[in-house]
Amino acid sequence: MKHRIVKKWLLALGLLAASLPGTARTREVDLSGVWRFQTDVMDFRRGSLSPRYNHPLQDSIVLPGITDDYRIGYESPYRHVDRLTRLYEYMAPAWYQRDIEFPAEWAGKRILLCFERVHWLSSVWVDTREVSRCDYVSVPHVHDLTDFVTPGKTHRITLCIDNRYQYDTHKWDHAHTEFTQINWNGILGEMKLLVMDPVHIDDMQLFPRVADRSVEMRLTVANTTGKPFRGKALVTVSGNGVEVEREFPVSGDGPELRLAGELSLGDDAPLWDEFSPRLYTLRCRLLTQAGPESCEDERSVTFGLREVAQGRNHILLNGHPIHLRGTVENAVFPKTGHAPLGDDEWGRIMSIVREYGLNHVRFHSWCPPRAAFRMADRYGVYLEVEMPMWGKDAEPDSARYDFFRREMRAILKEYGNHPSFLLFCNGNEITGNFDFIEELTASGRALDPRHLFSGSTARTRVPSDQYYVSQQTNKGPVKVYEGRPTTDWDRSAESDVDVPVLSHESGQRCIYPDFREIEKFTGPVRARNFELWREMLEQNGMLDQAYDFFRASGALTVVEYKAVIEALLRSSKSAGFQLLSLNDFPGQGYAPVGVLDPFWDSKGLVTPEEWRSFCAPTVLLLRYPKSSWYEGETFTAKAEVYNFSDSEWKRARIRWSLLDDAGHRLAQGALKTQDIANRGVFPVGELSIPLGKIRGPQRLTLRMEVGETLANSWNLWVFPRNESLMQSDDEVLYTRMFDDEAERRLAAGKTVVLLPSPSRVEGRRSTFHNHFWNPIMFAWAPKTIGCLIHAGNPVFDDFPTSYHTDWQWWDILENARVVDLQDAPRALRPFIQVIDSFDSNRKLGIGFEARVGGGKLLFLAVDTQRKMDERPATRQLLASVDRYVHSDQFNPQVALDGAFVRSFLHQNGKK
Amino acid sequence: MKQLLLMGGILLSLPGLRAQEIVLTERAPLEAVYGEVWESDDVLPMNELGIESGYLLYETEVELPEGGAELALEQVRDYAAVYLDRHFAGTLTDARKSLSVAAPAGSHLLQLYVENIGRITYGPEILDNAKGLFGSVRLGGEEIVGWRIIPLAIREGDPAELDYVPMGAGPLEPCFRRGCFDCAETSGRYLDVSGWGMGEVWLNGCYLGAFWNEEKQQSIRIPDDLLRRTGNMLVVFDIRNCDPTTCMQLSTNPVFK
Repeated sequence: MKHRIVKKWLLALGLLAASLPGTARTREVDLSGVWRFQTDVMDFRRGSLSPRYNHPLQDSIVLPGITDDYRIGYESPYRHVDRLTRLYEYMAPAWYQRDIEFPAEWAGKRILLCFERVHWLSSVWVDTREVSRCDYVSVPHVHDLTDFVTPGKTHRITLCIDNRYQYDTHKWDHAHTEFTQINWNGILGEMKLLVMDPVHIDDMQLFPRVADRSVEMRLTVANTTGKPFRGKALVTVSGNGVEVEREFPVSGDGPELRLAGELSLGDDAPLWDEFSPRLYTLRCRLLTQAGPESCEDERSVTFGLREVAQGRNHILLNGHPIHLRGTVENAVFPKTGHAPLGDDEWGRIMSIVREYGLNHVRFHSWCPPRAAFRMADRYGVYLEVEMPMWGKDAEPDSARYDFFRREMRAILKEYGNHPSFLLFCNGNEITGNFDFIEELTASGRALDPRHLFSGSTARTRVPSDQYYVSQQTNKGPVKVYEGRPTTDWDRSAESDVDVPVLSHESGQRCIYPDFREIEKFTGPVRARNFELWREMLEQNGMLDQAYDFFRASGALTVVEYKAVIEALLRSSKSAGFQLLSLNDFPGQGYAPVGVLDPFWDSKGLVTPEEWRSFCAPTVLLLRYPKSSWYEGETFTAKAEVYNFSDSEWKRARIRWSLLDDAGHRLAQGALKTQDIANRGVFPVGELSIPLGKIRGPQRLTLRMEVGETLANSWNLWVFPRNESLMQSDDEVLYTRMFDDEAERRLAAGKTVVLLPSPSRVEGRRSTFHNHFWNPIMFAWAPKTIGCLIHAGNPVFDDFPTSYHTDWQWWDILENARVVDLQDAPRALRPFIQVIDSFDSNRKLGIGFEARVGGGKLLFLAVDTQRKMDERPATRQLLASVDRYVHSDQFNPQVALDGAFVRSFLHQNGKK
Repeated sequence: MKQLLLMGGILLSLPGLRAQEIVLTERAPLEAVYGEVWESDDVLPMNELGIESGYLLYETEVELPEGGAELALEQVRDYAAVYLDRHFAGTLTDARKSLSVAAPAGSHLLQLYVENIGRITYGPEILDNAKGLFGSVRLGGEEIVGWRIIPLAIREGDPAELDYVPMGAGPLEPCFRRGCFDCAETSGRYLDVSGWGMGEVWLNGCYLGAFWNEEKQQSIRIPDDLLRRTGNMLVVFDIRNCDPTTCMQLSTNPVFK
């Protein structure tokens, strides 16, 4: 048995400590290492049959760790479709045991057994005596062994950890779900004995005050001597050039003493915020005498000088409005199956958050370990944390209610000192008794003014709400899930209620999975669902297109997120947004909605630099009425600056330029030189660019920039008017019906362009957007995730497009029909190929070409009749088709039976 | 009429009165916002009519036996106000899908005003995203067949522009109600909607928000730049409240139940 004695103060205080009489000081004994272990799937404790603490356990396990790491449990034969598959499932009590020597010199000390994170009930026995039970999910478990051990003896410490659901809480709560992290059994993080003098610091909470740059320390001193004690608390605050020292007299005669003291840090002491996350360390040494006994303890807390308040439409930090640009974190940790406990991994996550221009993370229905707060403090990230609460968790259940009451208080006490802990919400989309939600919210506000509180995301409001995260207010929708081909809109009016409003779970645009990720799953969970979907794609003859589906739908998601985020930044009365999410969500049917994979690695769809052009503290914005223009029109737009940075701009000169795809500047100009304030969204001028000399069809880029580093750009398209379309001649027949005439022409070896009305085509609804969240959970029609455009096909020679869709495709795809071509010959690949849901993987298309009945057929299920003057892109596509079908290049390779074409057409009311 | 309103305004702005009452004096019938009328044997959900959210009127003629009968819906998403011969008869929700209706035996007009509160993102019905009425509608166990389904374009235009007539004293069927008021202090005001049922409000031609009496939240924030010192015009649409004398109030604080 190795005991590692750790002195809590090092170096600076070493000399001082050495000069103190006696050996009184706090020790930490690390308990990590090999423990005896036994499973208990029959739950003998409950049956009172042979409790495990009566005898030595037979197996062993290394802690910290989880049972999955040692392949303990039920070896899952399944391939779960709706989540990752946990290889070894274990949900039962499990027993952990170690014999520990308690040195004689610990006599009179307080001895605590501490585990940083446990799932989720821990019970401790010393020999055969039960000490205590603890069922926190969000904070460390602490068991007080003082009255159960005899210093000088070796005791058998037996621990039962039960990861079964201790309360009837929602099975998706990310704190203990099987869907993102897993419902593991084990101990994680620090595990130690804490051995303290009988007069010691029990709790220390710091309340910073910005107005006079001071901090109030509230100290709770515990005294287990039963005697009066007196002495002093030596307090130092250091950091950012500040060195403050104060001494407070301490005296008491009861088991607990509460005292408060104030420390002024000086008028120039820097504040904490996202731009300058300055931290201080407060170190408190408690030196007391209780009877003959000298006691000593020390505790350090890192804090920031900051205050948060509820503003009119925004959250106020240190008196200034801030705007939250956030992502939702759902305990997605497939590498380990559990949340990381260390600074390295959380530092990586927080630095990625900052790299993508964000300043906020919402922890959805869970509260992360301390390292997350520590790293958010350091990187300047504002956190919202929650309890394991979701859905019907607020329906009456007194045991569950008490659990939440305890859990909330524990979270506030454990993490309340962290400056990054800005917001507390009880949980997600709660239903049930909102009097209970109000009780929690009101009591949280009364307990701790260092955070803002909210009752529930996206459900009923309660009077004590200090902010509200929702899809909807009583003024209308504040959700933004998808973009539009115009940018002249926002969610400002809808966000203007009695509290600051954050847009809930923005985005959620599904990407086709990247099957190359399968190899990255090497931990306790595996992507067996990916294997299923890949097999299905192979059976359907499209495995070679897997990567193309991924990158085309991924590119569309980036197009959508730019539009979504800019709409939310234009919403000047919105307090912020929480994107769902920067990374993928592997549960609820598997939602690959992120530009990062579940491991927080880039999918290669967008660089952080590109992302920051539309998501950063300062972003140039443009409101324009449409993306597709006719030659000769005048492009008009209103420019705005979203500036929630920490600085104003003096004499800003915003330049714009209109570029073609080769990078040639077709037009340029500058807005009026002006001063631009910060902490708001400001109109900065209007653009009016005659497109007179610019010939279509082509894609243009409108770029706005200021200075050397700040720029944003938008894709626009200019098209000729194409007055004359769909003119049949001797060679080519344009028809909306696959009728006798069409078949005659084909039989004669001619070309037929079949453009049926979408309402006469059997198939799925066509939409520009890729599926919301994922098509397995929300199995809503049409269950498609964007289009793969075969841009190399000469049918697109006169239509500007990439392999993926962008806003020029809007008026085409919103007026089309998707045909199921799975039963067509394998070799047939539609040139507008719609990507099916990954749990279906059928071959879908809107446009294809084939040899039919001796002739050449081009099929396009796009409406050609409705409001054609407002659809320049559809007109251009038809013009490009016309050029193509009249050229030598039109030479379809795959033969198709006319009967197959008729099979998905309704003609004259008949199929 | 205008004079009376002004007097009312002065009386109500006397110091000592905490909340200012807004009296609604005129009404405009809903026919002006009727959309294309669908005729169908069965009730159709919004999805089949191409409607994402909003209000619908389902109406039909029914034969009632002596002593009334129970009206039972198979599916209502999310809220319906029931009217018999244009008189309010109760409300139905997903949690309570039947009620008793009574009237003299014979033929009567049955109307259900249905609202979709919002698309769900969570819950057991998550895979079934239909809204409005669907499935069977039964009266005394007999299925009602033959409906007129009328989309109501409540949010599409400015309802202040409709033709209004004096309110009158009798109970109302769902309609737009309009009232004018002055207001000495125009910043930091909330519209107190307590006492109302389910509907929407507009102020000075701008959409202000929605309300529901089942919600804890019973006030709507008024943007400071929207409220004027004189000549404010409030329009209220409600599918449940039939009392022509119900007022709205201005409050300095948000109101919760």
